Parts: sequence; structure tokens; C-alpha cells
Amino acid sequence: MEILAFLAHGFAVALQPEHLLLALIGCTIGTLIGALPGLGPVNGVALLIPLAFNFGLAPTAALILLVSVYYGCMYGGRISSIVLNIPGDEPAMMTTLDGYPMARAGRGGEALGLSAVASFVGATVATIGLTLFAPLLVKVAIRFGPAEYFALFVLAFATIGGVTSGSFTKSFIAACLGLLLGTVGIDPVSSVARYTFGWYELYDGIDYIVALVGLFAVSECLLFLERDRDKATAAMRIGSAIPGMRRSFACAPTIGRGSVIGFISGVLPGAGASLGSFLSYVLEKRWWGAKGKFGEGDPRGVAAPEAGNNAAAGGALIPMLSLGIPGSGTTAILLALLLSMNITPGPLLFEQQPDMVWGLVAALFIGNVMLLVLNIPLVGFFAKVLQAPSWFLMPMVTLVAFVGIYSLNNSPFDLYMMLAFGVLGYVLRKLDIPTVPVVLGLLLGGQMEFNLRRAMSISGGDWSILWSSGISIGIYLFAIALLLAGLVYALLIRKRLE
Amino acid sequence: MSDEVSATSTAHGDRIAGVVLAVLAAGAWWHAQTFVTGFMQPVGPGVFPRLVSVPLGLLAVYLIVRPGLDHRWPGAAALCRQLGVLLLLGGYAAFLESWGFLPSTLVATVVLMRLFGASWRQALPYGVLLGLALYALFEFALGIPLPNIPGLSV
Repeated sequence: MEILAFLAHGFAVALQPEHLLLALIGCTIGTLIGALPGLGPVNGVALLIPLAFNFGLAPTAALILLVSVYYGCMYGGRISSIVLNIPGDEPAMMTTLDGYPMARAGRGGEALGLSAVASFVGATVATIGLTLFAPLLVKVAIRFGPAEYFALFVLAFATIGGVTSGSFTKSFIAACLGLLLGTVGIDPVSSVARYTFGWYELYDGIDYIVALVGLFAVSECLLFLERDRDKATAAMRIGSAIPGMRRSFACAPTIGRGSVIGFISGVLPGAGASLGSFLSYVLEKRWWGAKGKFGEGDPRGVAAPEAGNNAAAGGALIPMLSLGIPGSGTTAILLALLLSMNITPGPLLFEQQPDMVWGLVAALFIGNVMLLVLNIPLVGFFAKVLQAPSWFLMPMVTLVAFVGIYSLNNSPFDLYMMLAFGVLGYVLRKLDIPTVPVVLGLLLGGQMEFNLRRAMSISGGDWSILWSSGISIGIYLFAIALLLAGLVYALLIRKRLE
Repeated sequence: MSDEVSATSTAHGDRIAGVVLAVLAAGAWWHAQTFVTGFMQPVGPGVFPRLVSVPLGLLAVYLIVRPGLDHRWPGAAALCRQLGVLLLLGGYAAFLESWGFLPSTLVATVVLMRLFGASWRQALPYGVLLGLALYALFEFALGIPLPNIPGLSV
């Protein structure tokens, strides 16, 4: 019941006109960004961070704006999957399998309507889960000491292989690279300058925002330049979304299963929305067996992954808010935003800033309803925006990011740094080395090192403190279990591909 | 960051990346020895970078020994466009303050649209439009002081 009181308070925060307006703007922009092929939620949220800073928003307001964008992207990703057969973002990949065949058969509107409802249910289930489980996790986490936190960071990096579908070696290489980049700058404990090579601009360390806009947005721009230009977007009759809403009652069990599976995969550190939609789809396909027409336009093949990826998106907020350890690429960027505003997520956040946490949770509930309402009538509009020429969209997106980054510090150095990270991100992505672990390493490295050093100064230099408590041993065992599960999962995927 | 670019020219990208990363890890380890550990610090500033550079080095060596599949690198035309975009954006960063926001941004928007495949007839009007929209967004809507054109107050 305590939770209900908190939540009521949260709604009071979220229902302030300014916050409502920001949620509406965020949902609309998010849907658009999610719908544009190539501009996934990670890029979209990364792009908007400098803007959010420039608007001079208070932390709560900025966070509401960006999580609305985040949820909006998850809704929007399905539009281009269904209409163009190009996933708007990675988690929407599974939606193309049945969504596009449905659209080809003239049932595009139905697919869009059904997936909007599935997304809504998935996201709502996850938000309820967040409301119930985050406070529980906080109660456990409040007892964590530095050694337990260090174990938690090890857990986050051990499970990182799940974030991306690529190879384990490359994910870990990326994480190590990020951790190493995170040590650049003046060491806060000893005031020694590390890897700065006399450049005073580096003394404060590498700015997360600059790094991640470079890694995601600039590299996206470079990748875009080498893709096929002439993927003409044939105009397609979308039709009404209403039959899809009716269809969703028939698909209710599918949506329910997808939501639960997605939520669980979202909560696991390092797993994220792609795993959520993948598992939901595969399990649903197996559930129906030969009775389903998966891959040929089965509505359940649209409902399951959409419920799954939206539920995972919500679930991923749990470890980010309650432990300060993001479960996905986009939540990593939300973490970057919080850290840049001098807010450290974790158990203390729930005690010190209940307004922010519960306002955010309430904003998620409200945003969900907004998204559903926006998505039913405006689906035709969103599908039309997809057909805007890329020679206009890409320069616009790039320059908004560019001017946004410049205006953070009025510093051309930040721009050069962003370009360097753009080239790095491009090369990494060409090599199939995922960029999300780099960002996670960069973000979490400082905290990880800090907790290691605190634990060691408590023990007076005895390394065994790291595995001396039941909690930390439990976390290490869990990390090993997830690591093995990830390896098995990767092997299964490889087998499937061959 | 400059050494990553060298990996673009060959199909053995993984091996080259492995070598670059291994050198990076060794360099990070070696350089970390110069970080002075303060008094009463069981874990000095050099320990964590070294803890990270060991797995990085080992994984990089593994990547050299067992590289993944070959990758498709861009053809000459695409590579030229990419370099063009990087040069343009680098130049934009360099001239932003000395030229002022409006002239440098207008050049950047028009040329960037050209690089993304617009014709001059598309790039000129829409580029100017985008440049002015950016100016309006940041200068007026967001109230951020952007670099002025020298001698003028815009």
C-alpha cells in the first residue's frame, strides 16, 4: 500500500502541465525517431540529450521527456518494420517476419493496430512490474557495500554478451575498451592525470554525451552513406487500424505471454529489448507449432514480439533506476543523462528523490496511454514521414546533434572528439564489435573502480573482501550462470544461422 | 583514435583490429606504471587500468588468432562521401567560431545535403531553410548564444 501512496504522489508530479506537455512531445518525437529506419532508440535518445540540456530542463522534466522518447521509439520501431520491411531499430527486427507479409496482403493497418495494442499491453505490464519490483530490489540493494557493488558491475559486464547478438569475444573487447576509456582524466582519488598526454581538455575525462552521440549518431551517418540509396519506398495502402484492435482480443493470450517473457529478459542486466522480442517470437511460434502460419503474415507473429520488446524496454529501467546498472543500450544513455546532471541512480535515489522516481513511473503510465491514442489515428501520418527523402533527414539529424553538442560547452574540442568517436564507432560497427558495451564501460568504469578502491581500503588491501559476503558470492554465481546461459544461447543462434 | 582508420582498407579487419587493440592494451599497461600511488592507498590509480588492459590484451590476441568473418568495406565512391562528410564536419567545427554561426552552418547544411545525394536545386533552398531553422531553434527558442559573424551582431 506504501507503493500506492508513492504512485499517487508520482501522478501528482507527472500530471503537472509542463510534464504532460513534455511527455506528449517526447512520445511524438520518439515514435518518429523509432519509425525512421536506422535511427533506433539509442541514437534517438542520444541525439535529444544535448537538446534536453539546452532547454534548461530540471532533471525530472528532462527524464520524463527522454523516457517518453524511449517508450515512443519502441512503439515507432514497428512502423517501418511493417510498412517497409526495414526494422526501425534492432528490437523491431522480429516484427518484420510477419508484419511485412501482412502489409503486403493489404492488412497493414490491421498489423499496425494490433501491434499498437500489443505494445501498449507489453509496456503497461512492464511499468506495473517496475512499480512493484523496483522498490523490492531497492530494499535489497540498500544493504550493498562497495564489495557487493563491485560484484554487481562484474555481473553487468559478464552478461553483456546478451545485449548484442554478436560474438562474445567482441562484446567483451568493447566493454574493456570502454572501461579503459573511462579511466582517462584526473583520477578523483589520487589526482593523478591518467592518459591525458598533457591535453587539459581531457582532464575532466571523456564526456559521456559527446562520446555516445559520436559513437551512435555520427557513425550511423557514416554507415548510411554506404548503404543502397535507391531503396524506393513504394507507397502502400495502409488501411484502417480498427480491425487490428478487434483482432487483439483474439490475440490476448499471445500478448500476455510475450509481455511476461519480454519483461523478464528486460530486467536481466545486459539482456535488453532485442532478446525480449526474439524470445517472445520464438516461444510463441513453438507454442502454436504447425497450427500457426508464422512467417507468412500470422497476426500472432506481430503481437508477440511487439509485446515482448516493449515489456523488455520497461523492464530494463528496473536495474537502471534501482541499482544504477543499465540493462540495455538506451537505458545506458538515460544513465548518462542522469550522471551528467549529478544524479546517481541507485537505492539512495528512491529515498532522496522520490518525486523524480515516482513521477517518472507515473509519466510512463501516462505516456503509454498517450502513445496508444497517438498511434491509432496517426499511423498514416507516421508512415508518410518515413517517405521523406534521406538527403534531408540525415543532414538535419546530424546537424542538430552537432550544434547541440557544441552548445553544451561552446567548445570546438567537443566536436572534434565527437567526430573521433564517430570514426571509432563506425570502425567498430563495421567489425561487428558492438558499441553499447563501450558506452557501458565508459559510464560504469568510474563507479566500478571507485567501489573496488573503497572495498580495498576497508579491508586494508586484502583482495578477499571482494568475495567474502554471501551476497557478493551469490552475485558472482549468478553472473557465471548468466554467462553460461548466454554462451549456450549464442551457440543455439549460430546453429540456427547455419 | 587515428589508428583505427587504417583498418578500413583490407578485408582482414579483425586481425588488424586485434593488433591495434593489443598494442593499445600493452601501451595502457605500460603507461599505467607512471601513475604514482599515493600514501595509504591499497589500490592506486594504476591498478584498475591494468586490471582492464589484461583481458583487453588477451581478447585482442584471441581475435588475431581466430578472426571472424570478412567484412564488406565501402567502395571508393562511398568512402569519398564518408571522408567528405568528416572533412566537412571537421571544417565546420574549425570555422564555426571564426566565421560565425550563420555562414558556417549554411555552408555545412548545403554541402551535407549534396553529400547525401541531393541535387543543387534541392540542396540550396532546403539547406538554407535548415540552416535558418537551426539558427532560430538554438538562438531564439533555446536562448543559446551562438558565435556571431565577426563585426555583426547576428
